[in-house]
Amino acid sequence: MVVGEILEVNKHPQADKLQLAVVDVKTEKLNIVCGAPNIEVGQKVPVALVGAVMPNGMEIKKTKIRGEESCGMMCAEDELGLGDDHAGIMILDEKAKIGTDLSDYLDLDDVIYEVDNKSITNRPDLWGHYGMAREIATFLDKKLKVDASEYDFSKIEVDKKERKIKIKIEDKEKCPRYSAVSMGGIKIEPSPKWLQTKLIASGIRPISNIVDVTNYVMLELAQPMHAFDASKISDTKDIKIVVRNAKKDEILKSLDGETRELDENDLVIASDKEAIAIAGVMGGEESEIDSSSTEIVLESANFNYLSVRKTGHKLALRSEASQRFEKSLDQSTCEQGLVRAVELIKKICPDAYVSSEVADESTFSYKTKVLDIEIEWINKILGAEIETKEIERILTSLGFGLEIKDNIMNVSIPSWRATKDVSIREDIAEEIARIYSYEKIEAKMPVLEMNIPLENESRDLDSKIRRILSGGPALSEVYNYSFVGEEQLKHLGVDFENYIRLANPISSTQTMLRQSLATNLFDNIKKNQARHEEIELFEIGSVYLNFDGQYKKQVEEVDVLPAQEKRLAIVIAGKNTEVFMRVKSVLSFLLDSFDLQAEYTERETAFAWANKIYSTEIRVAGKVLGFVNLLDEQKAKKIGLKKSVAVVEISLVDLLDVLNKQANKTYKQFDKFPPVVRDLAFVVSDKITYNDIKAKMENFHQYIKEVELFDVYQGEEVGKDKKSLAFHINYVAEKTLTGEEVDKIQTKLIKDLENNFEAKVRDF
Amino acid sequence: MQDKLEKIKKEALDKLADIKKLNLLEALEKEYLGRKGQLTAILRNLSSMSDEDKKKIGKLSNEIKVELSEKFKEAKDIIIGSARGGNYVDVSIPGQKIKQGHIHPITQVMGDLEKLFSSMGFMVLDGPELESDHYNFTALNIPADHPARDMQDTFYIDTKNKNNEHDMVMRTHTSPVQVRAMQKYGAPIKCVVPGRVFRNEATDATHDTTFYQIEGLMVGEGISLANLKAVLQDVLNGIFQEEVGMRIRPGYFPFVEPGLEIDIACTICKGAKCPACKHTGWLEMLGSGMIHPEVLKYGGVDPEKYSGFAFGIGVTRLAMMKYKIDDIRLFNSGDLRFMEQF
Repeated sequence: MVVGEILEVNKHPQADKLQLAVVDVKTEKLNIVCGAPNIEVGQKVPVALVGAVMPNGMEIKKTKIRGEESCGMMCAEDELGLGDDHAGIMILDEKAKIGTDLSDYLDLDDVIYEVDNKSITNRPDLWGHYGMAREIATFLDKKLKVDASEYDFSKIEVDKKERKIKIKIEDKEKCPRYSAVSMGGIKIEPSPKWLQTKLIASGIRPISNIVDVTNYVMLELAQPMHAFDASKISDTKDIKIVVRNAKKDEILKSLDGETRELDENDLVIASDKEAIAIAGVMGGEESEIDSSSTEIVLESANFNYLSVRKTGHKLALRSEASQRFEKSLDQSTCEQGLVRAVELIKKICPDAYVSSEVADESTFSYKTKVLDIEIEWINKILGAEIETKEIERILTSLGFGLEIKDNIMNVSIPSWRATKDVSIREDIAEEIARIYSYEKIEAKMPVLEMNIPLENESRDLDSKIRRILSGGPALSEVYNYSFVGEEQLKHLGVDFENYIRLANPISSTQTMLRQSLATNLFDNIKKNQARHEEIELFEIGSVYLNFDGQYKKQVEEVDVLPAQEKRLAIVIAGKNTEVFMRVKSVLSFLLDSFDLQAEYTERETAFAWANKIYSTEIRVAGKVLGFVNLLDEQKAKKIGLKKSVAVVEISLVDLLDVLNKQANKTYKQFDKFPPVVRDLAFVVSDKITYNDIKAKMENFHQYIKEVELFDVYQGEEVGKDKKSLAFHINYVAEKTLTGEEVDKIQTKLIKDLENNFEAKVRDF
Repeated sequence: MQDKLEKIKKEALDKLADIKKLNLLEALEKEYLGRKGQLTAILRNLSSMSDEDKKKIGKLSNEIKVELSEKFKEAKDIIIGSARGGNYVDVSIPGQKIKQGHIHPITQVMGDLEKLFSSMGFMVLDGPELESDHYNFTALNIPADHPARDMQDTFYIDTKNKNNEHDMVMRTHTSPVQVRAMQKYGAPIKCVVPGRVFRNEATDATHDTTFYQIEGLMVGEGISLANLKAVLQDVLNGIFQEEVGMRIRPGYFPFVEPGLEIDIACTICKGAKCPACKHTGWLEMLGSGMIHPEVLKYGGVDPEKYSGFAFGIGVTRLAMMKYKIDDIRLFNSGDLRFMEQF
């Protein structure tokens, strides 16, 4: 990128809006096609040569534009990354030398240090170059050239006492300090190049000399400044500034042209008539400096971080100033800022003079805080051996006061570190460690007592379940959000009156906390149904119930958090209602793995979305663990499901409880005498439950050791409202059973089943 | 002559053992058993032998001829495949596919971490996902007016306590369990807390309202920053199954002091700078630090007697790194095309 001079401007033969320019860049004369309207012969302009890479990453190439060759590009300010201006090509000073490297010409050939925002987030002093310089000086073991504390009010001499400034702070909590001074003889014009260059390099657009000085001081000392046009805030020579809370519905047009609605929580700067600035956030348009301003009032104040943050948040406005105030700025830099600003204005505005005494209203008096720290403790907590001399050097260089007596350090915290970030000995340990270097602290394994860590039974159970379900039954584990939305629950007919709600949900599908895993799993089925005939999923996760749980809100309090229960849900989607049996089979497989059996009892479902018939409670070892349900067909349609869906949902808290009460597994002797197995199939009314029949058979005779259902059939063959059940019956005794003995018992059993259940034995 | 016969037999069998092709087998058979074969030649010469030799050599020759014929046939069968019942078997056909289930990638990565920490003697603890404001913030030295408490970062529960404040949140980190654990078990303590955490932020490929962390805590007498370095270096080596480069930067978290950000040398370019590490050579890996004395106090642990360190690892991010997953929302999508890859 170089400085070029425009030698010719001609019309583009093919395009009205384009021009052909011939540009001299010293080494050659280039033909450049240009669309900007503001170019004229004789202008000096920035030229990106072929091969140059623009800030946006675009590489300049030799190209043809509408048939005309173009070898390079003349650039606008925004294209160079120097500002927002895209109105036309940036026109350089006519004294600029052709062929000069653009970065040399603009004095932009400096080095940029990029400092991670995270490392300065808690350091108000590092929001200015001076604070950074102090850090760097410490790292490099050099001395700071300037001592900012020398910038005190005594340096401001009143040149012509024309005005008087009176400050009244109504809310001292929100504004601990406000200082101001007025200046006359101001002529508003662009800043000198050195100042503009420094602002540009720091990412701030130059505006005019006075505004530029206030920004420069902010960048230098981290003290936000503001300049009012004196004539706009007072009709007389006396200037009254009130720092007060805004009135309800008070309106202020801020510098960015927006009309801001304020309320009693927002702090404003006001003249005796009206608000003129939103304190610490942005100035007002009414009192803004403009090209005709000749007298100004400079503000250098300190505002409470919280007040600034709240107002900034409410207005969705984060300015360079408010970002700094939010960090809790040092109140003593108000003074330095004002002195520095006056000094700079006098330097760049030769006729400027101080026209009032400094007004400084403050509750501020800094009492140095001192920490007493054992030097030994520093090395103990860091696990290092840092020499006292080095500790002394580090702390002194960072501006801490230090006295050492009998291995105790008395560390005084400087004002710029005392607002928030340094208050305890651990903070001092950090200062020492980070400058000494974390890399230099040698890693050392702790010496600890050895013990077997306590088991987490609940998580162990989770992982066993995951292994079992993803193994044999080949289910896939999914994770769903803990949240549910109203629309989904409404479609399912779920009453969510009792659901715990978020105060600030981010989307309408995530407004409440789930009380069942099932509903989000339905969405999973929907998502996958087009690609799969059968879908088999499980999830382990928490539900959040609206009654008291076990966790306390605070250790010494009685209040507890809502109950949060870990659950397992298994969902199977397929062609028809067979999924109901399939999901039970999966559950049986799971429970079998823990030597548990489920008992299913009919019960009216509590779930609005469930089919009323296919609904059962799961009881294990006498405890209700959960339910098996089929999703109602109509409800399924409502949420867009095209499959039959069955769900098991059980409490893992209760399952763990059952398992913990389970007796240890012991080996059982084989039966001494071989069992005799007989099969028995019969037809009964479909209203008679398996549970009842099984109980009857098992308790019928002492030789009947086990009864196992192996087939269920319903259909034309057995008649309407009937079902056929087929069992293996195991007869075992303490002797060898003969066929006749077994036949006798079986015949009696059949008779009994006929009498009790109107069973009709089927022949195979 | 007897020796010669035995030698012929041995030679033939040795050669046969190496033959895998039918044409070579046939040539070999011809060489020994063919009309001009070696064995045939001997049998032809029988007439010129003594009666005794005729008998002895004749018998032996025949025996060898029968034996070799059988061996040649066996070898031939194997080569042409008739040993398998005469039908050709395509052994390249795979077994039947048995359906596999799938365990969520976060479960898998978290499981590895839990195993690692258990092996180092850490307890694995849980805590509530719906947490009190007290444990999520106050007890972690995050004061009432801290930006982290802003509504835009934290999901608050809409009920209010008697002071008319929202006093419950969806936990924004697993750190509250630090304090709960110290209150329950006291010091010394070594524990990790795996779990689901929540942030109120707009979702995109790298941000979600729900993600996973694992939190660690070690408190004891004389626990130092040097200990933190050693333990975390070991943890990182364990996670990545190799010696990884580690870098410490100052960081700021209200519940630790000093606070540290720990980076690892980029696992892809090994520090040579690549797009994965945004050309820095380093990847941000975990937040850590010495536990703030206020937090120890909230946990009921005396900061004059005990010290400790804590650390937090973004497990979702780790899983994204491990499997090169480019959209965080996939984890909670329930999409089988995603799940079935794990």
